[in-house]
Amino acid sequence: MEKGEEKEVIPTGAKILAIVMIPTIAALNYVGGVIVELTKAPIWGDTWATILGTLISGFWVGAIGGFLYNIIMALTLWGLPAWVWGTANVVIALITWFSMKLGWTDLKKPIKLIIPCIIFGFIYPIYTTAVSIFIFGGGPLWKPLPAAVYAAVLASTENFWLANYVQNLVTEIPDKIISFIISLIIVSRIPKKYILVRQRS
Amino acid sequence: MSSIGTSLLRRSVIIKETLIHKADPRTKFFFFLWISIWAYIFYDYVLTAIFLIGIIILAIIGKILKRILLSVAVTVLPWMAFGVPILSVLFPWNSTLMYKIEIFGWQIPFYYEGFAWGLTWPLRIGVCITSALLFYLTTNPANLIALLFKLKLPFRFIYAFAAAVQLIPLLVDEAGTIYQAQLSRGLRTDVGIIKRIWNFLILIIPLTLSSLTKVQIRAIALESRGFSAPVIKTCPYDIRFKSIDYAFFIGIIMATLIMIYIYIVYGFSPIVHLKQYLISG
Amino acid sequence: MKVLSKQEVISFQNFSYSYPTKRNVLIDINLKVYKGEVLGIIGPNGAGKSTFCKSLNGLVPHFYGGTVKGNVTVAGMDTLEHTVAELSTKVGIVFQEPENQLSGLALTVEEEVGFGLSMLGFSRELIKERVKEAIEKVGLKGLERRSPFELSGGQQQRLAIATVLAMKPEVMVLDEPVALLDPIGKYEVFSVLKELIKEGSTIIIAEHEIEELAYLTDRILFLKEGKIISLDNSRNVLSEISKLREAGIDPPSITELTYELEKELGIKFDQYPIKLSEAVKLYSEVLKIK
Repeated sequence: MEKGEEKEVIPTGAKILAIVMIPTIAALNYVGGVIVELTKAPIWGDTWATILGTLISGFWVGAIGGFLYNIIMALTLWGLPAWVWGTANVVIALITWFSMKLGWTDLKKPIKLIIPCIIFGFIYPIYTTAVSIFIFGGGPLWKPLPAAVYAAVLASTENFWLANYVQNLVTEIPDKIISFIISLIIVSRIPKKYILVRQRS
Repeated sequence: MSSIGTSLLRRSVIIKETLIHKADPRTKFFFFLWISIWAYIFYDYVLTAIFLIGIIILAIIGKILKRILLSVAVTVLPWMAFGVPILSVLFPWNSTLMYKIEIFGWQIPFYYEGFAWGLTWPLRIGVCITSALLFYLTTNPANLIALLFKLKLPFRFIYAFAAAVQLIPLLVDEAGTIYQAQLSRGLRTDVGIIKRIWNFLILIIPLTLSSLTKVQIRAIALESRGFSAPVIKTCPYDIRFKSIDYAFFIGIIMATLIMIYIYIVYGFSPIVHLKQYLISG
Repeated sequence: MKVLSKQEVISFQNFSYSYPTKRNVLIDINLKVYKGEVLGIIGPNGAGKSTFCKSLNGLVPHFYGGTVKGNVTVAGMDTLEHTVAELSTKVGIVFQEPENQLSGLALTVEEEVGFGLSMLGFSRELIKERVKEAIEKVGLKGLERRSPFELSGGQQQRLAIATVLAMKPEVMVLDEPVALLDPIGKYEVFSVLKELIKEGSTIIIAEHEIEELAYLTDRILFLKEGKIISLDNSRNVLSEISKLREAGIDPPSITELTYELEKELGIKFDQYPIKLSEAVKLYSEVLKIK
């Protein structure tokens, strides 16, 4: 390089930051569940970091981090079928990504949050219903409230799909919407230097 | 500084010297995949229960019976407890009446199809969970990482997986510390739903910030240690098949042949053939 | 005073650097470091010390991007022309945070020490040999099978040093290695550094612990707002009391004491002591005269 000549260097750090971010997202998803137990918050708390990771580092990092969490859970606690829930994390990352790109993630404009909340609360459970039925049999959950809702819907409509869908709504509406809002709040509080993706306002 | 922050693997693996512990992790991993797939191929609560009993026998050999039974008690049994009664009565494809029970003057019919569904699916998941635990609890963490290398997975995945299982207990410890700190500042858990969500936030925000700082530092440290070098990484461990593994594979092959025979002769639901005896009593 | 070798290991030529989000972090840096030399880097916060350290192994500019002028050559390699991975065999860097610079992959101290070598694809036998050597050098023998996360801060920093030593770099860089350690941890790390210095290692160390640098270093680079304020032997730099104070840096206590005594008593000292033994000798002579 000539003396005095200024050269622009393309950064290579993003790749390795992503690689280190992925296990962090997986670990934060796990710890989210632990904190839910401590605080008795009315959510699962194990997908919020997927949303956060997507908001900070983009779709692939969020999706892979979320997927990794489910792989770890499948290998260590929940068994083989649980890896399929990893695909649900990919869907969550996708919804977050699109919401971000379409400017639906600005806390200063709460009206715009309605659409992703509807998608998370009502569209996303369609996917989880399919997973619940094809991979886990579509029976009632082993928790009293969702099981009661399931039984009530099945008894009144005799519709297996609808019973599963409504059962999923009972758990997913609070969990996903709260997780989404929580992640937006966290992103608004962290220093900008940690955010690797451009946010559209 | 965490004094107990070690890998999720090291905390959970039960260190013993049994035949199951000595088996190569590839064997155990293959078994876990193999039996989980068969549990899904057959729709048969008797056969699936036999699979589960087989795993429990291996758990006895591996001296991890308590953990396996605990997982069954916590997941499979409650699931059946809800699933069997609800589906026996309400399953949309119920057609074969088993019996009727009178409850408060009402005759509640219990059907076979729902009953079978309510039994089979929890048992299937039970097989999957217990086989995963059998693999995980008897596999030394070093061997688990060696397995990932042997499977020729991309190194970045191996790193991500191993780092995640190391990070989890560290973050859990840190969350515990933050929780204690907040408790001493007046945090209460016996509060309404909105406040509980707020409590979740005040615990998760500092944890997230701390984690993101660590990501930056770890990334530059890894880069400085040659992480991105385009070479084949050296696995620090070596695993080799032993005679126990070959014996195991022979057993799996024989079992596979038996299952194929059953599938061909009786189909994916052999219990159907026994159903008539169950119904007629 | 130590006679420095004439073999140049590091060369900065008109090096200037700006991060993508912060301009002029380093401005026109020109210096050479010789084999076996110990160079200290001092300066107030934001002076560019960490950036200087990271420019030695290519993190600056490759990892962060930004704009660069001039060049940096380390062990014959231009840092602009080589990747950080390639430079990792020449330059080893130890960061400030003991736990956060652990790889996250290694389950034991042994594996952590061998981590860099595993990343570069060295054979298991060579890794084992180098790991054993490095662990002994930093005094972690007996802790090989422990989890890295179970060690104390001082032990983790020594582990980081061992990880670097195992790669046998030509230059070791330490960016505020004791900033987050308790006194025992600091003592442990400095003890290891003293041993390495005795063996003739080339070391660059950025630190706020001026008192320690006085003992360890041959020369000191004083940075402020990205520019070199002084680059000279340690005594000369640490004796520039007013310059140091202006930059918000506390000079070594005994140096500062001598400076104040000089003013108070109207005595002129040939040179200021920067070490305790020098101060004792100097004051003994002064007191004898008195």
